[in-house]
Amino acid sequence: MKTGIFICHCGHNIKHTIDVKKVSEYFKKFPSVTVSEDYPFVCSEPGQDMIRDSIEKQGLDRVIIASCTPSLHGEMFKDLLKKSGLNPFLLRRVSIREHCSWVGDDVEANTEKAKRLILAGLYSAAHYVPLEEKLVDVTKSALIIGGGVSGLSAAAFLSKMGMQVYLVEKEAELGGHVRTLKNIWPARKEGKSIVDEMVNELSGRKNVEIFTSTTISAFEGFFGNYQVTLNTPEGEKKLTAGGVIASIGFSPFDPGIKPELNYGKDERIITTLDFEKNGDAIKLPGKPRIAILHCVGSRDEQIGKPYCSRVCCINALRVAEAVKDKYKDSYVESFYMDVRAHPRGGEEYFEDTQEKGVLFTRANVAEISPTPAGIVIRGEDTLFSETFEREFDLVVLSIGMSPPIDNKLIASLLKITLDKDKFFLEAHIKLRPFDTAVKGIFIAGSCSGPKDVEESINHGRASAVKLFGFLNLGYAYVDPFISYVDPKRCSGCRMCEQACVAKAIKYDETKRVVHVEEAACMGCGLCNATCPSSAIGLKGYIDCMIDDEISAFLEAI
Amino acid sequence: MNSERVLACMQCGKCTGSCPEAGKTPFNIRMIVRKKQFERAIEEGLPWYCTSCNTCTIRCPRDVKPSEVIIDLRSALIEDGRIPATIQKALENTFVQKNPWGKPRSKRADWTEKIDFKIPHISETKEKRLLFTCCIQAYDPRCMVIPANVSRLLRIAGIEFGILGEEEACCGNEIRRMGEAGLFEELREENLANLKKYGVKEIVTLSPHCMNTFRKEYGDLGIRVLHYSEVVKGLLESGALKLKGHYDKRVVYHDPCFLGKQNAIFDEPRALLAKALGSNPLEFSRMRENSLCCEGGGGRMFFDVETTYQRNSEVRVKEALEMGAEVIATSCPFCVMNLEDPATEKGISVKEVSEILVEVI
Repeated sequence: MKTGIFICHCGHNIKHTIDVKKVSEYFKKFPSVTVSEDYPFVCSEPGQDMIRDSIEKQGLDRVIIASCTPSLHGEMFKDLLKKSGLNPFLLRRVSIREHCSWVGDDVEANTEKAKRLILAGLYSAAHYVPLEEKLVDVTKSALIIGGGVSGLSAAAFLSKMGMQVYLVEKEAELGGHVRTLKNIWPARKEGKSIVDEMVNELSGRKNVEIFTSTTISAFEGFFGNYQVTLNTPEGEKKLTAGGVIASIGFSPFDPGIKPELNYGKDERIITTLDFEKNGDAIKLPGKPRIAILHCVGSRDEQIGKPYCSRVCCINALRVAEAVKDKYKDSYVESFYMDVRAHPRGGEEYFEDTQEKGVLFTRANVAEISPTPAGIVIRGEDTLFSETFEREFDLVVLSIGMSPPIDNKLIASLLKITLDKDKFFLEAHIKLRPFDTAVKGIFIAGSCSGPKDVEESINHGRASAVKLFGFLNLGYAYVDPFISYVDPKRCSGCRMCEQACVAKAIKYDETKRVVHVEEAACMGCGLCNATCPSSAIGLKGYIDCMIDDEISAFLEAI
Repeated sequence: MNSERVLACMQCGKCTGSCPEAGKTPFNIRMIVRKKQFERAIEEGLPWYCTSCNTCTIRCPRDVKPSEVIIDLRSALIEDGRIPATIQKALENTFVQKNPWGKPRSKRADWTEKIDFKIPHISETKEKRLLFTCCIQAYDPRCMVIPANVSRLLRIAGIEFGILGEEEACCGNEIRRMGEAGLFEELREENLANLKKYGVKEIVTLSPHCMNTFRKEYGDLGIRVLHYSEVVKGLLESGALKLKGHYDKRVVYHDPCFLGKQNAIFDEPRALLAKALGSNPLEFSRMRENSLCCEGGGGRMFFDVETTYQRNSEVRVKEALEMGAEVIATSCPFCVMNLEDPATEKGISVKEVSEILVEVI
């Protein structure tokens, strides 16, 4: 065996608390180690050249890179092995940065720990075998769950590119919340017209099937070939989708759960959404006094909503402006903690609203009490350091965005995860913001966190592009980490069959043992862990690797 | 320390806006938290204005727990001996006689002399249901009638219960809030030892303040802690307790902070009143979660400060008069004591809910 060990300094990051020279020297004495080097930046071009040279000239058959976390640069180093003529699955990454040098500053202890971690990698890599990425056929069709603006924009892109689209909407009409909005800033358009425009684009396209008043009753299968059962008004409908975009939107925050606001107890206390739907019908005196409260249902840890909903400041400005435009002599006071008019043009919109005469008071309103004469608002003006009690004719609560009500249902069907605020969790907040941890399942729009109309449309389109890239070839490579069964050890108890979420374990009635359908296996390892006879292994993660890694930590060195 | 979240404060003003002392007194809890963030000096009289109503802590969007910050400030003042004389006296009394008035401990069960049957010591009971009196109701001549009344109600309904008598020590709820953590710990241990010694299975509290600390600050007791209104509501519903006729006065109900806001017991005392009155009691404009604090809790009762401003009790009485109420009912000895003076002055009466019930039993 010819192993090459490459230890990265990561500039100062690893080197300052690990004696990298000592570590590289230590491994030189191992008979199975051909090269043991340390280098300032292994990920740099000269660093990569060094590895490529060693592979080609020394004929390495295992490469261990001790550096940052494996998820960083993982694909890049795999490519490097491929280019150097070595199977990429003969690469072992050892994290001596996140798991070692960044953890403590005792150089001696860190150096010893780094040695142990690399030794474990060395023992484990001895069991590595070349593996081939699996090629699977994928169905060129997409299931889009939720027909709001993000779902519609995803559907428009995918169908235009010729992909079969199944668009499922729980309600009778497409368009979600946007359909109900009267005046969308900054376009100054009615929500309905935006939705209609998007729906018109889809109509007449033969590759788009729209299911309204429809829910999903079952979801099975794996990337490229998901089996979906729909519950439509016409009855059950089954279809196959290569991938999924979940775009189920948000639910408006219900201020009723904050008793001090008295929402729902008096018709003069309404939300921004109530105002959008019904604002014109509200009867007000000639010189109305209007209060607008920012941050209702946002930035509030007492109700489990510590996040900023990002859209409500603009919504509050929009209400203030609408009232001021209609009633020139109105008294409009906006109570805010911070005005976050973040979209382009938002700050100017804030300024315009101020210039129209809307007053801004920095206060997180404490209580709203309805009285016959008016609605009393109590709080502290934090800039004057004065408490106040003022009377208004109408109070508008600028409500935030809460997670969609079906979040748990859809998450459990698709086997995707929720974040701490109960929105859908992306695979990586910066690098993979549209992906979920499940291959082929994407998220779009406000179901992954508060977004305005423009962002939701863009998010839907971006997810659609990503999904298109996955499915367009009609085939895809997937990781070769799949289970295999040793029929001699299998007792036929079939516990693995129950554990398998991909339904990849099949029982042979005549031989009375199970086997794995390789195309279906997604390599989760559940069967492996369940098998009481240790008859199931997982390629790339076999039991003796783990045993040997543990012994590397325990043995005397 | 309880102030570890002060740096998370975003100075939104929810606390001060919600505070029953803000505006009229120099006390501005938001400003105190800001000063604490920057380690600026805080005027030493200020922390004693806080009534521990907890509204700021319940509503704080960053969970800064401003009322706990106050407790820390008071602790530091006590450590330095910079403490108002009246507060110091209350603490000393509690240390010596286990009640803040310094009344003899041997007289703690004197209220039982007002009733015509004997209440057994908890050790002599089978069901080990303890009626916990509370210092105010054990000694204050105005409030001694409350445990007597509740005892009568329980006795009529055939509920077995016992008391600790002179072994009962102050629950420590206000002591902890006055910043004397050490003394609170001592009281807690003494009461815990008795609960264990007599195998107490259920505590029926009369004061929401005692109930609060038993429920939240005594650790995992493994004992059910109830406010008497919860027990009596059950007895009225099951028919074990029957009322004769109706209490024929216009009654408005005042929510005690420690019962309502802090422990979400809003409906039980109202249910008791509804039975006694034959209709729902009147309501203040600020009620339930938005109830206006009487300014008695957390040691505020012992803080002697010249009051040129309007007390909240006066605000309450004024509103009660405006709505034509003849009686302000409440269910907390602190509220009774604070509301009574201005109420008597204006010719309306203040009654603890049990006082109304015994009149129609």
